[in-house]
Amino acid sequence: MIEVESLSKTFGSTLAVDDLTFSVRPGTVTGFLGPNGAGKSTTMRAILGLVRPTSGTATVLGRRYSELDDPARRVGTLLETFDAHPGRSGRNHLRVLALAAGIPRSRVDEVLGLVDLREAGKRRVKGYSLGMRQRLGLAAALLGDPEVLVLDEPANGLDPQGMRWLREFLRSLAGEGRTILISSHVLAEVAQTVDEVVIIHRGKLIRQAAMGDVEAMAAGSTTVRSPGADRLAGLLAEAGIEALQSGGDRLTVGAPPERVGEIAAAQGIVLHELSVERASLEEIFLELTGEPGERGT
Amino acid sequence: MTRLFAAELLKLRTIRAMWGYALAVMLFAGLVAGGHIGSPPNDDRFAPNYQFDLVLSGAFPSVILALLLGMLLFTNEFRHGTISRTLLITPRRPILVALKLMVGAAAGLGLAVLAIATTAVVAVIGLAIVNVPLELGDAADALWRGLLAAALIGALGAAVGGVVQSQVGALVGTLVWLFVAEPLVWVLLGVVHLDGVADYLPAATVLSILDTNGENLSFAGTVGMAAVWLAVASALAVLRTSRRDIT
Repeated sequence: MIEVESLSKTFGSTLAVDDLTFSVRPGTVTGFLGPNGAGKSTTMRAILGLVRPTSGTATVLGRRYSELDDPARRVGTLLETFDAHPGRSGRNHLRVLALAAGIPRSRVDEVLGLVDLREAGKRRVKGYSLGMRQRLGLAAALLGDPEVLVLDEPANGLDPQGMRWLREFLRSLAGEGRTILISSHVLAEVAQTVDEVVIIHRGKLIRQAAMGDVEAMAAGSTTVRSPGADRLAGLLAEAGIEALQSGGDRLTVGAPPERVGEIAAAQGIVLHELSVERASLEEIFLELTGEPGERGT
Repeated sequence: MTRLFAAELLKLRTIRAMWGYALAVMLFAGLVAGGHIGSPPNDDRFAPNYQFDLVLSGAFPSVILALLLGMLLFTNEFRHGTISRTLLITPRRPILVALKLMVGAAAGLGLAVLAIATTAVVAVIGLAIVNVPLELGDAADALWRGLLAAALIGALGAAVGGVVQSQVGALVGTLVWLFVAEPLVWVLLGVVHLDGVADYLPAATVLSILDTNGENLSFAGTVGMAAVWLAVASALAVLRTSRRDIT
């Protein structure tokens, strides 16, 4: 369980996080979303005790991070900034973390295998690609087999195969009852992974909702093209469904395509097109965060 | 705490620069000891305190490198961004500062052992060549002074690193303090007839542990005063580290 309560943080005169409240439940993957500079990383660092809140609280497993016993074993973290010494090998980096956290050395090879870095683990980190660095960061996060994961932009630098692996892996961890918070500035990137979303903008909470609700927001009107558009419009009006005719044979209908299709079929009206006009997740995201966006098909 | 300490030592052992420090301290100690034996007139080699001075002069490079290494223990964390991960494992910041001080002292001790061992090898061979018998009592007295000085300075370096946190700032600031600020304070104290107070300044105090010709402070007083400076720097390091946001 992660709980953020009335959290605010200012850096000088800049308000980075503004009275933010949300929670992350065990057994779920929660996406923490917002455009660049929204305050996601600052919030995550406040949760992890790296940034001191100006006011409010952030707790993990019911306590402040610094008050947890063996925090590195209970909370796995991946931060946006790379945190391994460039002159140390990936394997030695994990050995240091394992020794400090009291984790058996055998676990180092396990997690290196898990992120497909077993061979590269012997090389010095400064020669790693962005994707390899990200995988090493994930290995560090998973080292203690933690019950809570806080991952800042975990998909950065991963190839499609790596992203697919990450998605399935996080789903399986959530299935085991773990609490997972992942940040991203791209809603579509996490849409298939998360159960819930917390959307913030300029440090403020915009919405905390189930992913299904956000997807429902994306469903829009139905576009119909038919040589019998006039007749169909009349039938739809009789059924209490709003329909806007444009271009002669084209209708924009405020009902799902199934309903429109049923009405047309019942009256034997030929349809040339029946499609959903759907806003993309990114458009919904931009709309929610107040950024200019254009709904399209 | 034990496993955190072991992990910090593993950090040191797993970067190549550490082995560079070890080689450098052995090289400098060997050169200093060789010069000490080879350069003076023969009579000086039989003077009282000669072998005591020989061991301490061999230990001197380790003290300088211990200061440098101690500073790097902290400043490297900020330079490479590893401080985030370190604080995620050790989130109680005063404990992290204490840990770094202990590792600084241990690293200083390690460097001093290497320096003194190198000096001993050079001394045994060099003094045999110039037919000067070994005075083990002198050497033993100097040995623990050298170890104590390196441990204290290693810890002090870590504390300074914790206060300044910028690598360049810590190195430049220390050099400015050693070669500009503190000598200037000596002069100013002399002007106002407070020369004795200069012995209590940080660099004078710490380096006096290796100085056999100290005139004012006793050895115990020197060590005590060095411990006071270490405590002051450590308190500042705790304060600075605890207040800093890691962004």
